Amino acid sequence: MKWTEYLPELASGLGVALRLTGLSLLLGFPLGLVLAKLTDSRVRALRLVAVGLVEIGRGLPLLVLLYLVYQGLPQVGLTATAMVSAVAAFTWSAAAYSAEVIRACLVAVPVGQREAAIAAGMSDRDTFRFVILPQAARLAVPPLMNLAVQWFQFTSLAYVITLPEIMQAAYLLGTVNFDYLSVFLAAGFLYAAVTIPASGLVSLVEKRLSRHL
Amino acid sequence: MNTQSLVYLLGGVVGTLVITGAAFAIGAVLGAPVAWAQRSRFFPVRALIRTYVEIIRAVPPLVWIFVVFFGLPEVGVSLQPLTAAIVTLGVIASSYLAEIYRGGLAAIHRGQWEACAALGMSGLDTARHVVAPQVLRVILPTAATYLIGLLKDSALASAIGVAEIAFRANAETQRTGLGLTFFVAAGVLYVLLSLPLAAMSRRLDSRIRARYAMT
Amino acid sequence: MDKYDTPQGSAGPAAFVRAANIVKAYGDHRAVDDVSMDLKAGEVVSIIGPSGAGKSTFLRCLNFLEMPTAGAVTIGDRSVAVGPDHATPSRKDLAALRRNVGMVFQSFNLFPHLTALRNISLPQERVLGRSRQEADERSRALLARVGLKDKADSYPSRCSGGQQQRIAIARALALDPAVMLFDEPTSALDPEVGMEVLAVMRELAGDGMTMVVVTHEMAFARDVSDRVVVMVDGAVVEDGSPEVVMSDPTNARTRQFLSAVLGR
Ligand SMILES: Nc1ncnc2c1ncn2[C@@H]1O[C@H](COP(=O)(O)OP(=O)(O)OP(=O)(O)O)[C@@H](O)[C@H]1O
Ligand SMILES: [Mg+2]
Repeated sequence: MKWTEYLPELASGLGVALRLTGLSLLLGFPLGLVLAKLTDSRVRALRLVAVGLVEIGRGLPLLVLLYLVYQGLPQVGLTATAMVSAVAAFTWSAAAYSAEVIRACLVAVPVGQREAAIAAGMSDRDTFRFVILPQAARLAVPPLMNLAVQWFQFTSLAYVITLPEIMQAAYLLGTVNFDYLSVFLAAGFLYAAVTIPASGLVSLVEKRLSRHL
Repeated sequence: MNTQSLVYLLGGVVGTLVITGAAFAIGAVLGAPVAWAQRSRFFPVRALIRTYVEIIRAVPPLVWIFVVFFGLPEVGVSLQPLTAAIVTLGVIASSYLAEIYRGGLAAIHRGQWEACAALGMSGLDTARHVVAPQVLRVILPTAATYLIGLLKDSALASAIGVAEIAFRANAETQRTGLGLTFFVAAGVLYVLLSLPLAAMSRRLDSRIRARYAMT
Repeated sequence: MDKYDTPQGSAGPAAFVRAANIVKAYGDHRAVDDVSMDLKAGEVVSIIGPSGAGKSTFLRCLNFLEMPTAGAVTIGDRSVAVGPDHATPSRKDLAALRRNVGMVFQSFNLFPHLTALRNISLPQERVLGRSRQEADERSRALLARVGLKDKADSYPSRCSGGQQQRIAIARALALDPAVMLFDEPTSALDPEVGMEVLAVMRELAGDGMTMVVVTHEMAFARDVSDRVVVMVDGAVVEDGSPEVVMSDPTNARTRQFLSAVLGR
């Protein structure tokens, strides 16, 4: 069988992969913003919790995080489906990485911006919302988009907890047809077909966003 | 977790370190010619290398590992799981390290080459005594960060049965049902292994920044 | 008739802006060492002095961008004091004081993600609670006033340094401050471009705005200000009319400084 003939069979896996990516980013990025703010909190306990969540999320291999949620939580009586576990692990990791990105972008806004707003009598909250955040957001969009592309690639890891994403579908196909090479090349093609245009889009956005800065 | 399980899990550290170290070594060696070729005057060479790098990165590492381990035997290349993992992660590392080398080379002022040429130094001497030491200093922090990433990627080898940390944690979980215990322990091991690397990266980074008065 | 009237009750000879015994210490180093300064309404004071004298630090203490180690600032009838004998001032008190103080920075600090017009309107909306329409209207008037009517919809990156600084002045004026602070507003600019900005400031002074200007522009200090203050090593060493300070200084450090900058 030619490898292209496997592509339609992998389509359902692609759907699952995209859903996992979308859900975990939708939850992970806002959480990342919250974590980024909390790591500078005046309250020590909040700061410690935020730093802990970020460091664990970044420090463990995502694979281990996946196992931890899927196989670890049942030990304390919590069981979740593969999809829910995957979303939880991916969200945690996305929040941790995006928190770092967002924090770096917040810090990258020149101090003069804050000073100008404060000198005009603006409150801390308004300064953050109308002056700092919009500028940091512009800086953060390209790296966050890159993270998103990476997260799509990471969905392949959910194979190990039997989520029916692309790799799981490919492995089954390969076993049935006894044709692993073509099947996995087809899977690779599918990932590349999403990743390459998406990366192109990131560069495009990057160029456009740098216009006023 | 009893002592026997703990010893078994700790034994996985060897596998993790072997995969990480060997793959990094392959990547470091293979990355050099790739970086060099990316600076080639000939467009076809540059385009070819660019394509190589892009294709490697457009596909997740786990897919490459499966292609190599499950796929290549169909064309007569059968590798042991450990070898397959090392070779695959090594080739992937070459694409990333090449990029890091390239950044390091770009950071060197072209006047350095001109000065060496004016002094009558050979190309090889220039590369060895002038360019390499400077590039090395610039790239070490980034390379150390990449090495930490590779340490985490080595967990992928568990998917083809290499008995490193993640694999053993999973095996013990299947046996005992104590997933939380074993994966928390595995997580602690990964963090412990990456701590010295992270510290080194930070130290090098601040030292280099100070030396080159970068901010 | 002055455009900038003094608020009720503070007219007359009493000080309109008063900085009392301002101290700012960084560790053992006193960047500002017990500086006091009174300004009458409509008065223009230039602060000159060598680099590192503490001019910027003092200016930034006036609106608490830098929290003084000790001292008090009074603007009109509003006073904020800090020091060992005082409670830490509340954010509300600081915000209230700041809205009466306009500040213009050496590096403009315009918001790059907003057009010139929106740069001027944003603080009006957030601080004074003006409606967008009201704010934009006022902003357009101010842009016209600084000669930049046609730049309303331009982003800062599309404006020259001189234009950016004039927009920054308009932004500060939009809150109708009682006093304007300038920290070397022209030193990031080419001399010709700096002239545009100085012209706007001159006009502002002529209209009766109370101003404190840290500057290296000796001509501006001499021609526009009512008083010139010389700071050296965190302290005021000379304070008087421009004629006296600049042509007949009493202090040796002042003479030394002036001969260096004036090249005689
Ligand atoms: N955040 C800070 N931490 C420590 N020292 C500081 C800080 N800010 C300023 N200083 C010190 O305070 C002194 C006064 O600085 P300031 O910027 O006020 O001088 P200046 O008169 O404005 O000089 P210039 O003409 O160069 O702008 C300097 O010695 C400076 O090193
Ligand atoms: Mg200064």
